Amino acid sequence: MTRRVLVMFAVLAAIAVGLGFYALHLKRKVARDEQLAAEQQRALAPLSNGPPTTVTLYIASDSDGTLRRTQVNVTLPPERTERDRAVLRALFEQYLPSSSPHPIGAGADVRDVYLLGDDTAVVDTNAAFADAHPSGVLAEELTVASIVVTLNANDSKIGRVKILVNGQERETLAGHADLRRFYEASNIGQVVKDMQ
Amino acid sequence: MPLSGRRSRLAWAITAGSALLFAALLTRQTGVHAQSPGQNQLTVYSPRTSYSVPLLEVNGQPYAGLVELLEPLGSVDARIDGKKYKLHFTPPGGRPLEVQFTGGKDKGKVRGNGYKLPANFILQNGRGYLPLSVTSDLVSKLLATDTEFHAAARRLFIGNIQLRYTLELHKDNPSRLLLGFSSPVNPSIATEPGRVRLTFRREPIVSTGPENVPYSDPLISGASFSEHDGLAELDVTGTAPMMANFADGGRTIIITGAPAAAPVTQEAPAPLPPAPANPQNPSPQPRQPAAPRFLVLIDPAHGGSDIGAAITPSLPEKDVVLALARRVQHELANRGIAAGLLRNSDVAITLDQRATWTNAARPALYIALHAANTGQGVHVFTAMLPAANLSPQGFLPWDTAQAAFLDLSGSVAGSVAAELESRKLPNATLLAPLRPMNNIAAPAIAVEIAPPAGNVDEIASAAYQEQVAQSIAAGVAAVRAKLPEVRP
Repeated sequence: MTRRVLVMFAVLAAIAVGLGFYALHLKRKVARDEQLAAEQQRALAPLSNGPPTTVTLYIASDSDGTLRRTQVNVTLPPERTERDRAVLRALFEQYLPSSSPHPIGAGADVRDVYLLGDDTAVVDTNAAFADAHPSGVLAEELTVASIVVTLNANDSKIGRVKILVNGQERETLAGHADLRRFYEASNIGQVVKDMQ
Repeated sequence: MPLSGRRSRLAWAITAGSALLFAALLTRQTGVHAQSPGQNQLTVYSPRTSYSVPLLEVNGQPYAGLVELLEPLGSVDARIDGKKYKLHFTPPGGRPLEVQFTGGKDKGKVRGNGYKLPANFILQNGRGYLPLSVTSDLVSKLLATDTEFHAAARRLFIGNIQLRYTLELHKDNPSRLLLGFSSPVNPSIATEPGRVRLTFRREPIVSTGPENVPYSDPLISGASFSEHDGLAELDVTGTAPMMANFADGGRTIIITGAPAAAPVTQEAPAPLPPAPANPQNPSPQPRQPAAPRFLVLIDPAHGGSDIGAAITPSLPEKDVVLALARRVQHELANRGIAAGLLRNSDVAITLDQRATWTNAARPALYIALHAANTGQGVHVFTAMLPAANLSPQGFLPWDTAQAAFLDLSGSVAGSVAAELESRKLPNATLLAPLRPMNNIAAPAIAVEIAPPAGNVDEIASAAYQEQVAQSIAAGVAAVRAKLPEVRP
């Protein structure tokens, strides 16, 4: 093998290494951009126009395992299930930034809220809500509890809540919290008292 | 100098090929294809416990996970730094010993001395694997004790714990073959016409003499010993149906002819008469019910493809809780409480299977173990169910079986929390909608450990896990009198 061929091979190998690092850089950049986009996507457009209404949210905190009551102003639509959905989206907005005291999966959203009779709400979440939710008994319980008590606090007729993922029943949220059952707001309320 | 067209194409081909190769190397975690066959395992017998280690087949060679191999023998703290794999192993009552290997290399260090492997060390999915053939030597070096490795059978004996047996044929009518053991044994027994097969999975049974012993007897024609796939088998052959009975507290197994089957009658059997209050004539003794026993069943959550929470990128929840479960089992044993593990290796079990197996085992207490990288300290959970007036002795609804045991479960949770408090471990007792707790027909708690003080790595530290395990065991021991013993 001549010296010229060796030099050429060395140059090409260097180019290949450079391309490899560039590909890795691009891969990481795309992942970062996707996460950023998912977080920004949650700067959700209000579901309706009109004067903002004060709603009560129960915000979870992982560091001390508590739920804290807080109030925010949200523009609510007139229809009841749409109102419930808007309240839950306001709750999710608190959890979506990575700096949240209880971050949940990027891109998590509430697809719809259905009512069974007057007192039972079925909350249909998207796949990102469950797929990217941090796994853990307490972390998942905090999410479920905050959804149930927040709904009940803003729509007092709702006494039972069932959570679906992408329109389907799922065994657990992220390996721990039972999603096959209906949650009674009164039972969860007791848990929340223990957590506060 | 301008390149000719042919050279230019060659250059581009080399560039593209190199780039693809390089990119592939960057994105792959290991350069070997590894698979995990179902029955491929090493059985380790130690004075402390007997356990199985699943094996990987890498390029046709069996490999054992280093953590899985050493964890039941002492405290293990493993870390990966790039391709460097460092493990600190602390034998009971000893000081930490360092083991160091590099992924893809066959040289490492054990206790500060160079150590050559017969094949490269493998790093895969955050775990370190070493060739099966060196496991015996490595364990011997770390524990400073003799080991005996039956390579073909994949059985590793640590210390002088081999259990030998004797064969004694009594030519009675019918003939009896007495198998004597120096310690109680509990093999699984399979019978078929003219054959009784005893399979020893946990007992370190080894052959004492010839592996095949022929008999010139009208009933029993021979006995043979074999070992394979991490277990030992004693096979007794005969000319007629035979059965096996235990005697001498499990130290003797008697193999003899099975009684002839009773003639089949076409009439329905008459109902049994009620037992007389003061029988004058002795009647056949009813079978004695098994003695009540107190068994704690520990459920290390997740396993197999279900890793649970990713505590760190290289530390899945399933590994943390398995290590903790073994410590809890050990601490309970130190307090005279028998405990079993629902899984003792990296296998997947569904939530329904966990509940079904637990209820079938009829434990006095069920403890689920979890770990998380959020929060701080230890959380003790009981089932989030409304109290129900159910009798634990009656039929229980599957979805709310735990409701009948909530009071007892709460007592255990409170006792464990008190022990955590006494050890100054941050803790809280909560209700949780955790599966499969609702389906457990026995007192049940779940314990989730989080990092003690924000340092995620500390969750796997021996010191922290030991404190948690001691708290759980002491908490259980404190309320043992309240928990009913159960007949198996």
